Amino acid sequence: MELTFGDAASKIIGSTGFSSLTFGHVVMILVACVLLYLAIWKKFEPLLLLPIGFGCLLANLPHSMMMNTDTGGLLNFFYQGVKHEILPPLIFMGVGALTDFGPLLANPSTLLLGAAAQIGVYTTLVGAVYLGFDLKEASAIGIIGGADGPTSIFIASKLAPHLLAPIAVAAYSYMSLVPLIQPPIMRWLTTPEERKIKMEQLKPISQTVKIIFPVAVTIVCCLMLPGVTPLLGMLLLGNLFRESGVTARLHETSETHLINIVTIMLALAVGSSMTAESFLKLETIKIIVLGLLAFCMATAGGVIFAKILCKLSGGKVNPLIGSAGVSAVPMAARVSQKVGAEEDRSNFLLMHAMGPNVAGVIGSAVAAGVFISLFGEVGGGADHAQVVTEAISNIVSLP
Amino acid sequence: MSSLVNTSLIVSCIAMTVIFIVLTILIYTIKILVNLIPYEEPPVPKAKAKPASPAGGGPSPTIVAAITAAMATHLGKSPQEFHITQIDPK
Repeated sequence: MELTFGDAASKIIGSTGFSSLTFGHVVMILVACVLLYLAIWKKFEPLLLLPIGFGCLLANLPHSMMMNTDTGGLLNFFYQGVKHEILPPLIFMGVGALTDFGPLLANPSTLLLGAAAQIGVYTTLVGAVYLGFDLKEASAIGIIGGADGPTSIFIASKLAPHLLAPIAVAAYSYMSLVPLIQPPIMRWLTTPEERKIKMEQLKPISQTVKIIFPVAVTIVCCLMLPGVTPLLGMLLLGNLFRESGVTARLHETSETHLINIVTIMLALAVGSSMTAESFLKLETIKIIVLGLLAFCMATAGGVIFAKILCKLSGGKVNPLIGSAGVSAVPMAARVSQKVGAEEDRSNFLLMHAMGPNVAGVIGSAVAAGVFISLFGEVGGGADHAQVVTEAISNIVSLP
Repeated sequence: MSSLVNTSLIVSCIAMTVIFIVLTILIYTIKILVNLIPYEEPPVPKAKAKPASPAGGGPSPTIVAAITAAMATHLGKSPQEFHITQIDPK
């Protein structure tokens, strides 16, 4: 094979990424740099936004074979873990191993706050449909209100894989902004007197109850909503590792090495899906706006329901703990503590807020399970979204 | 469009109801569990009988250890080479 100097030079120049660099690539590289800036200098969820940003950067370098769709590429292999719903449940196992359900068990009524905060999911669902998304897409967008990254990725990969990147970025960005988004809403919806309410000390819980709890929740929730079993099952298995006391090595691995390794793979896979074709669309802006709405409504829903509990209990519940029902463990609970301490320094709400906070994890998983039951393909391959839409329209005569 | 919005409203109502039902079942499950298996204080380990101190309560082992370490450094000896038998508080 003979090559002239000119042929060789043009071949090398043609093989560089510069020759194929488009305007879309440049914009996405800038987006990646913004994510890296937010992660490194602004400390916005750095454990996730940094690898997501770098994955985005790699995916938008032409000829790098790092897009999630590049068969045989490294990040394509990582993406299979998202596509086949392997990585989010493994993250949940680590979350379960890290979570102490004690405050929730000591005050089980706080589970209702975790349920009330899911109102953010459903107001966003309605908003997304109003903005032109179909029901599956709207469900995937709405789950951002659950403030739970793995759940958002799990549902997006199942119901609207083409929206995975903007949904994941919106979910993690807003989770990092919880300390900025929540306090104004909490102050607006509560009076200074309500914020000063001191709650009774939580009673201790038997270790046997802590061991039985994950098994009981698995049986109850997974029988009612089988679609959520991968998420909730792994969450509760991780918690059983923690509470059983007989699997110290598995517990330690789940809460440290496993969750860290899986986080790297998951975040890189999400970043690799952030291509110009999938991200630079009007839908992305709509999802970012809807994500903010989801967080605001979820916070408001939790606080309003906590106010109702406060009235019903004769002033024994501080409404500030309601905002922790949005999941985002443990940041949302810390926000409740901080806003409460602003009013009264001697008021310690953190442990009380941890109850609704972990209830929010279960609540958002249950909300995801409802979506999978309605629009997923549990126990059949038919297009459930269409079937459910028609069924509801037949049952309820709409104007 | 409006029928889809209506459908989404109905889906939302149904879903919130399901969530509340599931979590209410969990609340009662927890309450039953907590009532059936109440918390019990872990047994307090029996305290070892302390050897009687000649002064009726001499210096704490921490203070003895600190003095031993300081003496060892000052004398240039290992702490195992000597033994403090009495500390005069004066």
